[in-house]
Amino acid sequence: MKFSKLIDKFKKLVDSHEQGGRITAEKLDKLQQLLTEKKSRYEAKLEATQDPEKRSRLETRMKVVNAQLEKSKHLLSSN
Amino acid sequence: MLRNILLPSILLILAYGFWVSPDFKEIAAGVSIFLFGMLFLEEGFKAFTGGILEKLLQKTTDKTWKSLLFGIVSTTIMQSSSLVSVITISFISAGLVTLVGGIGIIFGANIGTTTGAWLVAAFGLKVKISAYAMPMLVFGLVLSFQKSKYLKGFGSVLAGLGFLFLGIHFMKEGFEAFKDSFDLASLAVDGYLGLFLFAAIGAAATVVMQSSHATLVLILTALAAGQITYENSLALAIGANVGTTITAIIGSLSANVQGKRLAGAHLVFNLVTGIIAIVFISQFVWAVDYLSSKVGIADNNYTMKLAVFHTLFNLTGVLVMVPLIKQLADSLNKYLPEKALDIAEPKFLSDAAIEFPETVLVSVKKEVWHLFDSAFELMAHGMNLHRSEILESPDLKKTIDEDREIHEFDLDELYASKVKILYSAIIDFISRSQSNMPSIFSEELYRLRNAATKIVECVKHIKHLRKNATEYMVSDNEHIRKEYNRLRYQIAMILREIYRLRDEDDYDHALAVLEMDELKAEILVTHGELDTRITEVLRDNRITPAMATSLLNDFNYVDATSNHLLDCAQALLASHADLIAEAAQEVILDEDEIEKISAS
Repeated sequence: MKFSKLIDKFKKLVDSHEQGGRITAEKLDKLQQLLTEKKSRYEAKLEATQDPEKRSRLETRMKVVNAQLEKSKHLLSSN
Repeated sequence: MLRNILLPSILLILAYGFWVSPDFKEIAAGVSIFLFGMLFLEEGFKAFTGGILEKLLQKTTDKTWKSLLFGIVSTTIMQSSSLVSVITISFISAGLVTLVGGIGIIFGANIGTTTGAWLVAAFGLKVKISAYAMPMLVFGLVLSFQKSKYLKGFGSVLAGLGFLFLGIHFMKEGFEAFKDSFDLASLAVDGYLGLFLFAAIGAAATVVMQSSHATLVLILTALAAGQITYENSLALAIGANVGTTITAIIGSLSANVQGKRLAGAHLVFNLVTGIIAIVFISQFVWAVDYLSSKVGIADNNYTMKLAVFHTLFNLTGVLVMVPLIKQLADSLNKYLPEKALDIAEPKFLSDAAIEFPETVLVSVKKEVWHLFDSAFELMAHGMNLHRSEILESPDLKKTIDEDREIHEFDLDELYASKVKILYSAIIDFISRSQSNMPSIFSEELYRLRNAATKIVECVKHIKHLRKNATEYMVSDNEHIRKEYNRLRYQIAMILREIYRLRDEDDYDHALAVLEMDELKAEILVTHGELDTRITEVLRDNRITPAMATSLLNDFNYVDATSNHLLDCAQALLASHADLIAEAAQEVILDEDEIEKISAS
């Protein structure tokens, strides 16, 4: 093997190690899945809750989760 | 005192030696080049520590046999038990490796280091190693001038090996010429006294050179040159093993108590092994002769026999000590206890870790949590609450409404002793470690520094808030009392939620990071509700205008404290090691987005 090829292989190995730290589409996908599950949990809670104060808090939380889901979708499409 | 006179004494002795003997000069130059090579080698390996080395260490120390094997393999590859022990100390200080795991690595490193004796005995003294040294040096130096950090690292490793070989060559040449003018064997005394004397010389030489490897090479070359007898060399090798612990002890000076315990374990191991080797020296000599004849080592090939001896007595030490690891760790825990301090001292920041980015991040993160814990206590007392009430009360709102006990304490004094010291240590540690950081790590380090700053700001806000909160929580005016209890509740609730999200095992950290946004939105909604209530109670003369302005001002402090605490928790819970949590970092909503949600 030529020395330059050896160095290239070495560089690729190092680069792939460095890339390891970056956020991939796969990770964003997993995050979306977690958020969707959370949203469903909030929806179920909301259905079971009558107390207006608690309902209002749950609604606020749901809006946040929805906004986060939107943001993650946007990130995924631009990735 | 000793430290002050040690260096000038060594320099004087060396200068005298150079003046009286050109051969001594050659040997000393050989040793220096050898040590220089070790420095290069260490530098080279550090280039690869942006995660690979540290991740490997973490995964390979959860069982004693694994940590032993890791110690053997890593020391064999790096040819430096010192580097492995210093890294291990840094890991132990950062809480990444248990003391038992760390002891396993150190024991393994003692076996790994024996491969150096084999390499030198098998190749170093038989072949003309300077022939290999030159090309290695040239290639190594060319590569070390490259821009890429990794090519540079590879070059340093190559050049390091080149320097090691060149050093051995010089030492060899020096001893060849030196043997006629000075005879170390003349110091020989019969029996155990002689063994102890040469062991002490070996230990002293290793302390001076900071490398058992260098001493061993020196012993082997002196032995090959007939400068010392085989028996002398055995005692010197035993001494070198004991002397090598000095590097770990120096490394542990700046480490926390865990690091000191590991250095203690290293010293105990090498002392016990050394004593065993000296007491049973005749049995060892017999075993070495027996094994050597079995593997075909010639009777007069003393350099190879020394390598066999070095391996054998280190193996014996490991076999004797491994079953006692647990007891050793218990004794070290007992005799080197954690200091019970009134002032908070950094628990996880160790200078030994500073060269290793991944360890730096873990140490800083743990220290910022430590700062958070200290600040928690201050904030709780500042709000006239107990930590246990915040974390354990089944009905936090009710507890706060009913608890009217005023906590008498000097917040400034506690701030100086519990928070400021830690904060300063964190900032100092970060600024010293930042220069070696790859960008991916320095971004996270920046986030952690910011988090530490926010914790300190929170304590300052609580200080401002405390005066009115203390006055109004016991006020006869029910309305203002209720509002201030609401403020106390908000801080307590945020602290409680952060600890719940941090400590809940089966809750994903990525979701915990994002749940902080939900709390931020809730705070904004609360803010809106407070504004409406203040207008109402003020209009109905239920509170005075002075009370209303105090309340509005103080709510701003509570608001800022709550948001700072949540920002800080987001930074601490997200980690580059947990990629989903890092992805969550990208999804965190900004202030405007949260404001829009709470207004809708």
